[in-house]
Amino acid sequence: MSNSKAGSSKGSVLVVGAGVAGMQASLDLANSGYYVHLADKSPTIGGIMAQLDKTFPTNDCAMCIISPKLVEVGRHLNINILCNSEVQSLEGEAGNFTATLKTHPRYIDLASCTACGQCRSVCPVTAVNEFNQKLDLREAAYMRYPQAIPGGFAIDRGICIGCGMCEKVCLAGAVHYDDQPRMTEIEVGAVILAPGNEVFDPSGLDTLNYAKFPNVVTSIEFERILSASGPYRGSLMRPYDRQEPEKIAWIQCVGSRSTNGCANSYCSAVCCIYAIKEAVIAKEHAHHDLDCSIFFMDMRTYGKEFEQYYNRAKELGVKFIRSRVHTIEAEGEADLKIRYTAEDGELREDVFDMAVLSTGFEVGLETVALADRLGIDLNKHNYAATDVFMPVSTSRPGVYVCGTLQGPKDIPQSVMEASGAAAAGGALLAESRWTQTRTREYPPKRDVSSEPAKIGVFVCNCGINIGGIVDVAAVREYARTLPNVIHVEDNLFTCSQDTQVRMAEVIRQKGINRMVVAACTPLTHEPLFRETLLEAGLNKYLFDMANIRNQDSWVHMHERAKATEKAKVLVRMSVARAAMLKQLEDRKVGITQSALVVGGGVAGLNAALNLAGQGFKAFLVEKETRLGGLAEKISRTIEGTNVKPYIDGLVEQVRTNGSIEVLTQASLTSFKGYKGNFTSTVEAGPDKAEHTIEHGVAILATGAHEHKPVEYGYGTNERIMTQLELDEMIEHPPAEKDPGKWKRVVMIQCVGSRNKQNPDCSRICCQSAVKHALQLKETNPEMEIYILYRDMRMYGMLEDYYMEARRNGIVFARFDTDKEPEVRTNGTGLAVVFSDHVLQRWVKIAADAVVLSAATRANDTDAIASQLKVPRNANGFFIEAHAKLRPVDFASEGIFLCGTAHSPKLIGESVTQALAAASRAGSFLAGKTLSVGGAVAHVDGQRCAACLVCVRSCPYNIPKINEEQVSEINEALCQGCGTCVSECPAKAIELSHYEHNQILASIHALLAGH
Amino acid sequence: MSEVILAFLCNWCSYAGADLAGVSRFQYPPSIRVLRTMCSGRVDPLFIVEGLRSGFDAVFVYGCHIGDCHYLEGNFHTSGRVETVRKLLEFSGIGADRVQLRWVSAAEGQEFARSVSELTEAVHGLGPLDRDRFGLHLSALSQTFESSRLRWLLGMERRLTEIGNVYDEKIDKRKYEEMLGAAAIEEYQKALILESLLQGPQSVREIAAACGLPVYTISQRLADVEKAGKAAFQGFEGNTPKFIRSGA
Repeated sequence: MSNSKAGSSKGSVLVVGAGVAGMQASLDLANSGYYVHLADKSPTIGGIMAQLDKTFPTNDCAMCIISPKLVEVGRHLNINILCNSEVQSLEGEAGNFTATLKTHPRYIDLASCTACGQCRSVCPVTAVNEFNQKLDLREAAYMRYPQAIPGGFAIDRGICIGCGMCEKVCLAGAVHYDDQPRMTEIEVGAVILAPGNEVFDPSGLDTLNYAKFPNVVTSIEFERILSASGPYRGSLMRPYDRQEPEKIAWIQCVGSRSTNGCANSYCSAVCCIYAIKEAVIAKEHAHHDLDCSIFFMDMRTYGKEFEQYYNRAKELGVKFIRSRVHTIEAEGEADLKIRYTAEDGELREDVFDMAVLSTGFEVGLETVALADRLGIDLNKHNYAATDVFMPVSTSRPGVYVCGTLQGPKDIPQSVMEASGAAAAGGALLAESRWTQTRTREYPPKRDVSSEPAKIGVFVCNCGINIGGIVDVAAVREYARTLPNVIHVEDNLFTCSQDTQVRMAEVIRQKGINRMVVAACTPLTHEPLFRETLLEAGLNKYLFDMANIRNQDSWVHMHERAKATEKAKVLVRMSVARAAMLKQLEDRKVGITQSALVVGGGVAGLNAALNLAGQGFKAFLVEKETRLGGLAEKISRTIEGTNVKPYIDGLVEQVRTNGSIEVLTQASLTSFKGYKGNFTSTVEAGPDKAEHTIEHGVAILATGAHEHKPVEYGYGTNERIMTQLELDEMIEHPPAEKDPGKWKRVVMIQCVGSRNKQNPDCSRICCQSAVKHALQLKETNPEMEIYILYRDMRMYGMLEDYYMEARRNGIVFARFDTDKEPEVRTNGTGLAVVFSDHVLQRWVKIAADAVVLSAATRANDTDAIASQLKVPRNANGFFIEAHAKLRPVDFASEGIFLCGTAHSPKLIGESVTQALAAASRAGSFLAGKTLSVGGAVAHVDGQRCAACLVCVRSCPYNIPKINEEQVSEINEALCQGCGTCVSECPAKAIELSHYEHNQILASIHALLAGH
Repeated sequence: MSEVILAFLCNWCSYAGADLAGVSRFQYPPSIRVLRTMCSGRVDPLFIVEGLRSGFDAVFVYGCHIGDCHYLEGNFHTSGRVETVRKLLEFSGIGADRVQLRWVSAAEGQEFARSVSELTEAVHGLGPLDRDRFGLHLSALSQTFESSRLRWLLGMERRLTEIGNVYDEKIDKRKYEEMLGAAAIEEYQKALILESLLQGPQSVREIAAACGLPVYTISQRLADVEKAGKAAFQGFEGNTPKFIRSGA
């Protein structure tokens, strides 16, 4: 929905903070047709994630998965990156804001800097390298990390002594000591806040002695220690003496769940799982059997499949010690003695080589000041104040929030929220979509397919980075002798703007039809040079790049002759390959401007509504007669907000929205087509009328349900009930069985979760129990309430309610799986026997009611999963494309997921994910056309024997045997990896741009002396 | 050092790792020549053999770590293929060590440099590949990996061992590999025979000498090649039958 009149709002958005959340929000918005200003106070984008080693639960290398995103943001035509910039003020209202930004001087001009690093190599001063935490030093002329975007240096004025050396050595003339702060006013329709968070500084906690002992490190420092690009190059070492530790302790909840020494009573939500990950990875890095102990209070592995990760860590021998750590003291020269109170109340101690403090999140003072300048409210913990049902909206209309300013959270939650915030912002500005975006116009393309190859070779000196080692003139002259080469030249900086303009000119004048650039790396510069080709009127595929810097001059610095020889060979290969390259056309295919949303619960309703708000048609398919889903059975949230009015309002909005067509009692009977153009048939209504739906995208929001317990005598006595049944009784107390009159209630957690059949945690049952316990206490303060639990997983701000429950006298008694409680019924009598972990003996108590916190199970999706060919995990929840960075996308493009169909979650979390799915779907639809083809695989039907090898080996299940009994690869879906090509027995498949003969030609050309 | 080495690097992890080695100035020997593919899954066994055949002394394949593949699991396929190439190289006498597979992530610049240095040093230990001696074997290897049968077995390995065959049975991975290894050797021996017959009519004993294989093995494989119509009995020279290539 838009709050602004047509055309009156601005079609651009300001995103504050360029960590993973800010980047995702920017990409979604820019791809959806909005111009994005992405401001970050640091000189680079990337945030905390760039500092991490591996990410849980997949153990993916963080840099491997974030760097393609960095490059995408860095090169996006509709994302304007404003580094070193802070928002000073925000005037106006939703749809029409004026933001004033202050950009601090960088002293190095990004337009000319080539990131060659000469300035750094001569810089005489150093400071603590904050990127590697305090483990090593960096110079005043610095880049935060090698893969940083923007790929340019900055001068840290705080430590620069102004000696002038870097200006002298910079051949690009990029150093400007007279750079001044600049104030810029920009007009935007919406603002998304993603400034991230600080990590708690434990220096003030004198019991842990972080400031005093070098071998006590924070978790982020430990990430840098583990990282292959960190100060110790990925070798496991402790800071004091660089010895490989044999015994490491992790101390949980440092700066979280505590009001002692810090003000952060909330749970930081991510430290349990990252500590497990660090222990597992450290074990992998160690040369011997590393002893890892994690000291914790509650193990909060509540995320999707995290519990299984926790179980695997236990199998690997990571020790989990339920305790409270008292002190860390010195032992010997540099070892550490940890004194802790174990669960049985006894004080124990143990000696470790190293301790990692699992420090939590904290909103920094700068962020508090920013919130004040922008006029948004913060909650008592200084996180952005948001509504339960609108978790991405701040108190100021038109200003949205995502990432860790919204609350402590992990990467996938941040990414989801970022997309969610983008969806909310996008719907607000829908009428102004594509009004402020830029498009690049290129001259008409020249068809060169019938011409003989005429190759231009451009060799780069990269200042002295290449030229200082490789004899560039010799390489240039060598290139002149190669077949098909009609033009050669060398440049000081081939990538500079003026050189680009001239190159396009030379290409046109001399009739060059293939271009080879010998310079740095295609990973960062191929897109730039392809644009040069487009400017010159050539197909962008007629290009190859020889990497004579990163993979030659920089790595063979002491062997100049050989480096020169290698540069010649690399150029020869590029020339040979270029001669064989073909023009490839990216074909445009229209996208049907509508979405199919399956499931009419909170997630489906929100997704449909947001898509309609963005201006797309949505078809909402619900199997029941009513809309509302599982949330209809929930009366209130833990915050005390009534759910029913919200759901009723949502259903009303959906029912009356002209862009949403609702089909109830409906089921999907067929699903055909591919991304952008699907055709589904749906049987709906009591008469099962058939509807045919054309849609460009699909969103699955099929939901979940409460597990019917088979445990604890459920079903044998009406006073044994589930949390949802209790909810109903609290809300509508039956006359003769009013729960308010109960004297004693026992709740049992993890019923049907965290066991053999269902190893996962259901995430929401701890808060259900606490919520209902607090409600019962409010009705009857005398009531005795016991919650028998394994770990209280009251993550994030939920911790507040856990504290309140303990303050209100609710008894929490922990049990282990080998000592599960027992429910005994005797006629109408009801008693629970459980082992008290403090008293260390079995206790039997009579109860008026036993409430089982039953698992959340995925709804039956057998049919739809096989129709859409989307994967599910062992427990029936859908599997997203990537657990970290693509949390609402399926691997099959154009299909998205959200809500409890993904994994159990709270209503607010479902709303966020629904908005995220709507954002991803919306940004896909907004393009209106799809570019297909290019470097993808093609089958030669004549040679295909329909042997199915390609069908089986494709990681994406794209090849199909068609009606002519040969394999067919849809060019719109092929990802271009080439796995099938290399396996095809009949060699009937060819991968464009990486054709068999092109690769063979490269191999041959790479040989010295032919 | 006179050896030259061909290396295939996947775009997303190992090529980025190699770039990072450059950014960090980690030095390694210049004898390596890099060819970039989007995924290590694109590295056809034929490319590896062609590298050796056309003049490289070793071929390295670098990919993303298992689980990190940008294309989900392209590198699984690479791993199986390279293993088979290595087996045949060992069998042929050329030696498996001339082909190496390593995983390097985008963050492992130093690891890339270290690995290249270590592997290059090892190749130096092996010395230049004697192409005069192994020309026949390399041509045969090339033909072997053209064989549809072998490509099919390679392509189906994961399907049959991890998901299930037409009977819904999973074949034991070790058994499959044994079978694949045996098939690869058969195909290779047949290819060797055909390559050797290019020299003109030969006796079983002459073929065996050229191929460096036992006489009886040649006799058996020759029968298969004859059955396939690719070789034929030409006539006797004294008591000794001579064979020639036939068909396409």
